[in-house]
Amino acid sequence: MKLSRILFGAVVASLPALLCGQMLDPSLLLKPPTNAWPTYNGDYTGRRFSPLSQINQSTIKTLNLAWVHRVMPGEVPGSIVGGLGPAARGGGSSEFGGPQIKSTPLMVNGILYFTTPDNTWAVDARSGRELWHYFWRTTGGIHIGNRGVGMYGNWLFFETPDNYLVSLDAKTGKERWHVQIADVKQEYFSTPAPVIVGNHVIVGTGGDSLDVPGFLEAHDPETGAIQWKWWSEPLKKGDPGSETWPDEYSMRHGGGMTWIPGTYDPELHLYYIGTGNPNPVMAGQSRKGDDLFTCTIVALNVDTGKLVWHFQTSPHDTHDWDSVQTPVLIDGEIDGKPRKLLAQASRNGYFFLLDRTNGKNIVARPYIETLNWSKGVDSEGHPIPNPEKEPQVSGVLVSPPSGGATNWPSPSFDPETGLFYVSTSEAFSEFYLTDTDPHPEGYGAAERASGRLGSTLRAIDYKTGKTCWRHDYPGGGGISGLLTTAGKLLFSGDGSQHLVAFDPANGKILWHAGLAGNISNGPETYMLDGKQYLVVGAGDSLYAFTLAE
Amino acid sequence: MRTTTAALLLLAGMAIPLAAQAPAQRPAQNGQNTPVTPPRRGLGGREYPDYDQAEVQRGQTLFVSTCGFCHGANAKGGETGPDLLRSVLVLDDENGEKIGQVVLNGRPDKGMPKFNLSQDQIRDIATFLHQRVKDAALRGTYQILNIVSGDPKAGEAYFNGAGQCTQCHSVTGDLAHIGSKFDAVTIQQKIVMPREGRRRPGTPAAPDAAPVQATVTLPSGQTVTGKLEHIDDFTVALTDANGDYQSFTRNGDTPKVELKDPLKWHTDQLLKYSDADIHNLTAYLVSLK
Repeated sequence: MKLSRILFGAVVASLPALLCGQMLDPSLLLKPPTNAWPTYNGDYTGRRFSPLSQINQSTIKTLNLAWVHRVMPGEVPGSIVGGLGPAARGGGSSEFGGPQIKSTPLMVNGILYFTTPDNTWAVDARSGRELWHYFWRTTGGIHIGNRGVGMYGNWLFFETPDNYLVSLDAKTGKERWHVQIADVKQEYFSTPAPVIVGNHVIVGTGGDSLDVPGFLEAHDPETGAIQWKWWSEPLKKGDPGSETWPDEYSMRHGGGMTWIPGTYDPELHLYYIGTGNPNPVMAGQSRKGDDLFTCTIVALNVDTGKLVWHFQTSPHDTHDWDSVQTPVLIDGEIDGKPRKLLAQASRNGYFFLLDRTNGKNIVARPYIETLNWSKGVDSEGHPIPNPEKEPQVSGVLVSPPSGGATNWPSPSFDPETGLFYVSTSEAFSEFYLTDTDPHPEGYGAAERASGRLGSTLRAIDYKTGKTCWRHDYPGGGGISGLLTTAGKLLFSGDGSQHLVAFDPANGKILWHAGLAGNISNGPETYMLDGKQYLVVGAGDSLYAFTLAE
Repeated sequence: MRTTTAALLLLAGMAIPLAAQAPAQRPAQNGQNTPVTPPRRGLGGREYPDYDQAEVQRGQTLFVSTCGFCHGANAKGGETGPDLLRSVLVLDDENGEKIGQVVLNGRPDKGMPKFNLSQDQIRDIATFLHQRVKDAALRGTYQILNIVSGDPKAGEAYFNGAGQCTQCHSVTGDLAHIGSKFDAVTIQQKIVMPREGRRRPGTPAAPDAAPVQATVTLPSGQTVTGKLEHIDDFTVALTDANGDYQSFTRNGDTPKVELKDPLKWHTDQLLKYSDADIHNLTAYLVSLK
């Protein structure tokens, strides 16, 4: 801990002398969020637990709407315009039915910074008033979502659907520079929020259609220059992991995208991130083997990008079960001994608990009851896929579907209850192999949704993986981002356009508010002027709640 | 029927709100050989034009005879030539401009000879390659193959026995000639989940599907029954026998709400089916011409 303080002191000293205004104090990144929400998950742990308690089980009865901010994406009057595409294209509303705020806004010195694809805003956190809007003219790329910005000093960083890393001046919204991180013609598209560790701007990317390799890279916050790049597959025979692929060609086209921000342990100096599915996505015949490091939780040295350990959650995945779900850092106890742990509720339906110093598995257990693709786990905790549940020409019935038992929306860990919270879906799909060629391409299979038993909010005991309590949404629910607080509250969306507060100990509903859309990001909270704000994105609007005076 | 299909597509979309990172091509209730409206974009959002199919055909013929020996007849690579569908040069090419330079000049360093082809021939080959890339990238256009692999006799036995299908269905009644009405994929989907996307017990069903019935018992003891329109933890809504919409605030178990789903058997069966049961039943129903 002392070492990391010194390191961060050094980082602060190296920043330009602008310690005023919008500037982010990097020491905020190392502690649970209170007066700021300075990074995607609030802090580096990924727990999305706030120590704030002004809003609590007693006071929540008077939690009221403070303001609503509805975004106006696109090239609107007053926008600062950048980007390389033609003026006519894009409005940020995307092909997915209107703007969806999937980013978790950063809140630094009273200002919220957030995104939708191609758009970044600064909004007054007290009033919801817009300060500036930056719009990126796109050259393409899928506009499904954007998780938000990263901040270093007075500078913001975000990624675009056409795979540029763009840096803005937080004070003005003016662009400082942009650098390309991947080629949109190869069907890469980028959605993550950059995570800033020290002087590293860590960015990932996505893309599944044309069998390209995934990577994670770090950029210099001053210049945008690349500092290191980690490929999520071995590059050649003999490299670690290459024994899990039949040949170099398959590993060089093997997928493993990095589309959700990771977490970081400053004492171990390790950055943790889960990687996406292998490619071709659902036809595995040309990539027999485990296909490392796809569907894998990896620990990278944050200064070099070198792999320190890995744990594969879905060996030889053939169902699009990205393992990108937030690897949540828990300082807990196992058998009475304090341990540095990492937990993930993975898209394939398994809950994993690892020792985050070395990646050794402690718990591997299905967290949905419908899971039907595995023959259990091996001696090291890796699930053993049942080959009969790989996509077949005649169809196979599999739970979960490709969308997973859960997906990207953030889970939460509450150190006071010791419970890991995640929203889940219990559904089935038929998977039909459509590409029987020895070298299939793209997805190689078709999927047909086949029914759903329900959608559930779960509290999982991290020490066992067992569900302690569950709330079954009567109307089907949906997968929502979560937040827990020291006010003994758990916030979630319910799939019926409500923001709901639960008792994290038992799942009892304590409060709800009807919004104009479903929760589309992870809720967050912060203190300003002695007042606790709860902010959530639902569709095209941010909603802020405070206690009545 | 058109409305029904649209509703089913909508519901199918709802069922997998988060498929992959990008639900651009949603799992849908389309039948065999009836792909959903071809999307224009791959998952990366690249736009693919509608290529001239005559060019594609000519290009394929020319490619197989001229290039196939090294690059494979399907352009996925052969003994000596690389896979061209994953070639960055091919992805970057427009109208054969970049491909043409390689064809005309060869790649002597890699052992590829020059080919003396006309501009039209080069364009045809390029269009063929671009069509192949598009086919791989746009998963909504993938064709499901012949799925009928099961044993119709075993399917019949399951239908009349373990599956208990005859409790609701009859092959001389509602399922008569079903094999001539629907393609195999549609039939298989109807077996697995006839009202896909309907969540238990919740959101509205497709118009022609058996609706969920809701009975609300008020504290006074009065009951209201009708077709469920919506339910969450805070509200229940139904349309009663008079066609009137009624909604009630829920507070825990008050008022009492009972739901009856006529398709519950199908939902429960998701946990019991073996893939062989599904394949055999499909083969049996497909045989009912």
